[in-house]
Amino acid sequence: MKKLYFMMASMVMMFSISGNAQIVKAEIRATGLTCSMCSNAINKQLKALPEVSNVETDLNTNTFTVTFKEGNELSPKTLKEKVEKAGFFIGSLVLTAKAETINKSPYIVVNDKKNDAAEVQFQVVDKGYVTEKEFKKLSKSYKDIATYSANSEDDFHIKILN
Amino acid sequence: MRKIVFLFFLIVNFTTAQINVGDTIPSITLKSSDNKEVNLSTLKGKYILVDFWASWCAPCRLGNKKLVKLYNETNHDKFEIVGISIDKDASKWLKAIEKDKIKFTQLIDSNGFDAETAIQFGVDELPSKYLFNKEGVLIAKNPTEEEILKLIEN
Repeated sequence: MKKLYFMMASMVMMFSISGNAQIVKAEIRATGLTCSMCSNAINKQLKALPEVSNVETDLNTNTFTVTFKEGNELSPKTLKEKVEKAGFFIGSLVLTAKAETINKSPYIVVNDKKNDAAEVQFQVVDKGYVTEKEFKKLSKSYKDIATYSANSEDDFHIKILN
Repeated sequence: MRKIVFLFFLIVNFTTAQINVGDTIPSITLKSSDNKEVNLSTLKGKYILVDFWASWCAPCRLGNKKLVKLYNETNHDKFEIVGISIDKDASKWLKAIEKDKIKFTQLIDSNGFDAETAIQFGVDELPSKYLFNKEGVLIAKNPTEEEILKLIEN
């Protein structure tokens, strides 16, 4: 019975999560064995997402800046999947989202930075969203956060930047 | 109505455009690094290697070294190299040409992967090479230097 309650509660939570999450913009720095800007594959994968309104590339920083349509329910996981489908990896992922997004979503804030801005900017620091080297470093810094080392694909540990 | 049909045709053409072995070199006019208008289809009569690249593409810059060497070792009555850059910043393109000491024809379609020439050729990654024979027919995609030398000797 307790189990059922828990399941129901988490389902309700999941429902409200997806209903309120809204990412406005993503800055994806891709890495891989080859020059990520030399391939049109990531660009194509991202543009094929219905939630995406625009993709811009910055050659100096090797960054894809993706803007999203209003009211989307996109998860960072989708962005990771698209980059990996194109044959690359995420080197860093910085998201801009409506402030309430990170309170109601499967996001776990790892630094206690507070701000009143309408939009928050944050970096996803989970495995697969940072470089391998960075992840090893972060694992030490966040060793007290149990969910971080659990490596669940469905929660996202974030570092607020603004 | 005609406009719509035309637009539709254009879109279909764009999304499926890609040249394959056996296809003829497209008639595209681009500006060269010495400010001339060059149409690709007028280059027939020699073997032509079309090389898509950009100044920011590191593998392309390494490839340029090999192309310069290949160009110096071949007979230009028989074989010509044409570089097509998709650089958005033409000044960076010109600087790269100078730095890499490129002497063969250099053209630019400065719109990245959205450049019409890149779309017509079906370029999805850089560098991309296309070898055309004397009749202007595509005979190889991304051939190695050895393959090029072999093909143009016949």
